[in-house]
Amino acid sequence: METLIRTNAVSLSGLKKTFSTPRSKVEAVKGIDLQIQTGQIVAFLGPNGAGKTTTVDMILGLTQPTGGSVEILGLDPRQAISAGRVSAVLQTGGLLRDMTVKETVSVIAHMHEQADRIGPVMERTGLDKIAKRRVGKCSGGEQQRIKFALALLPDPDVLILDEPTAGMDVMARRDFWATMREEATEGRTVIFATHYLEEAQNFAERTVLMSQGRIVADGATEELRKLISGRTVSASFPSAEHAERAGAFDNSVQVAERNGLRFAFHSVDSDRFAAALLADYQGYDLEISSPSLEEAFIQLTKDAS
Amino acid sequence: MMSTYIRVEFARHFRDGYNLIFALLLPAAMYILFGNIPSYTEFELGAGNVKFYLMISMAAYGAAVSTVAIAGTVATETMQGWGRQIALTKMPPAMFVSSKMIVAATVAGASAAVVFALGAATGAEVQEGWIWGASYLIILLGAMVFACYGIGVGMVFKSESALGLASGLMVFFAFFGNVFMPLEGGMLDAARFTPMYGYVALARYPLLKDMPAGVEMAPDALWIPTANLVAWALIFVLFAVLATRKAKARQ
Repeated sequence: METLIRTNAVSLSGLKKTFSTPRSKVEAVKGIDLQIQTGQIVAFLGPNGAGKTTTVDMILGLTQPTGGSVEILGLDPRQAISAGRVSAVLQTGGLLRDMTVKETVSVIAHMHEQADRIGPVMERTGLDKIAKRRVGKCSGGEQQRIKFALALLPDPDVLILDEPTAGMDVMARRDFWATMREEATEGRTVIFATHYLEEAQNFAERTVLMSQGRIVADGATEELRKLISGRTVSASFPSAEHAERAGAFDNSVQVAERNGLRFAFHSVDSDRFAAALLADYQGYDLEISSPSLEEAFIQLTKDAS
Repeated sequence: MMSTYIRVEFARHFRDGYNLIFALLLPAAMYILFGNIPSYTEFELGAGNVKFYLMISMAAYGAAVSTVAIAGTVATETMQGWGRQIALTKMPPAMFVSSKMIVAATVAGASAAVVFALGAATGAEVQEGWIWGASYLIILLGAMVFACYGIGVGMVFKSESALGLASGLMVFFAFFGNVFMPLEGGMLDAARFTPMYGYVALARYPLLKDMPAGVEMAPDALWIPTANLVAWALIFVLFAVLATRKAKARQ
């Protein structure tokens, strides 16, 4: 029977969190409804202060919501953690500097009662080479890898990562996502919070856009990009006059950038415009690109506020 | 899961060295220093001699200080995010605290044992053998009261240097708690309200219990140090609970 009913990996309804101090009240999360199916890879994308970390903390039961409810695989967060079905890479702290890498992995493995996974996990995350090093002597990227290893110890069904590549350089970031890709198989649900648009774009099938404690957009990452209409069409011209005439093609065409005789136009009906550029305006070296998620993001958060 | 954690805790302490030397060697050194001044340490006192009295004092000080230092790391490590890491495992937070307490009690026990061994080797004497055991046990159990003090300070200041300060403050408590040198008159009256007074007075009670009242160094009635220790235990527990709540709310 259980296979017929598809449980959500994560289900949030009306989730709210207000931090109150004697002087002020801060609504970090202002009511979130979200269903994430098992096996999905989802990005929480948003600038700092969007409420991503607070949301992650509530999903994990580390912070008590002011209102609403959280279910992980039909369980409450604490039960899901005790059963080893969800784990996470946390953003802040989390490691003791004077422990060695091996000690850290080992104590957490024992806390999960999964001592037999110490070896394999250390190998898969490349920690076996620095097993005896003290955590405090590890680079930022290596520390993130330790946290990632800790998250893999219980062999979770749902893996949550809060800014997993913070403090990593480009190479370390690429390595991290390569390992991540291997771990994301076998129907594991992965949810990661990030403010790197590129990471959402490259890795997540679905992106949830957050801003100021609310979800401002939610959909397939591809769809989200299409939310912004139009394309950028770039071409070179034999003379500026040709370009000028091309710019008057229809009302939607605007010159976005100019570099010598190379022009970038923004156009709503890019297909027809591109055809005209080649046939009628002597344009050459044509390039058509869709807007980046960053542009989509700027537009969407602007609309929401 | 607890045994692995405790094992790693000990490994950390041994590597660190500094804390361990502070916990084990300082009280021992102080006993050698104060306990072997020939002019008075051979004198009889209560059921034993002055050396035995000083041995209890230094052992009690050492046990309490190491308890503060180790218990305090419960707070600093929790606030550094290690608590959140543990919260993502099966292990309940209470087991983290109890692991630390076992480590603290072991180090406190070792610290007091070193001083007792030195005492036995250098002429600390008592007429009845059971007093050795009774004093040692009171020292060990009483030291645990100071764990809450360490946790509270750690939660308020959240840094390792604050724990150094907390341990440092213990020297002050020890002076004004009649631990290091016998106080008299007004100072002694005030001392009866300070945190280490009841603890060390109870540890000395088996040694001094048969001294007639009014004689110099005679003990207070048993209820005075007991009331002191119980009161401070409650204060420290309350302090630790409030500090923890406040620290967690701000997290």
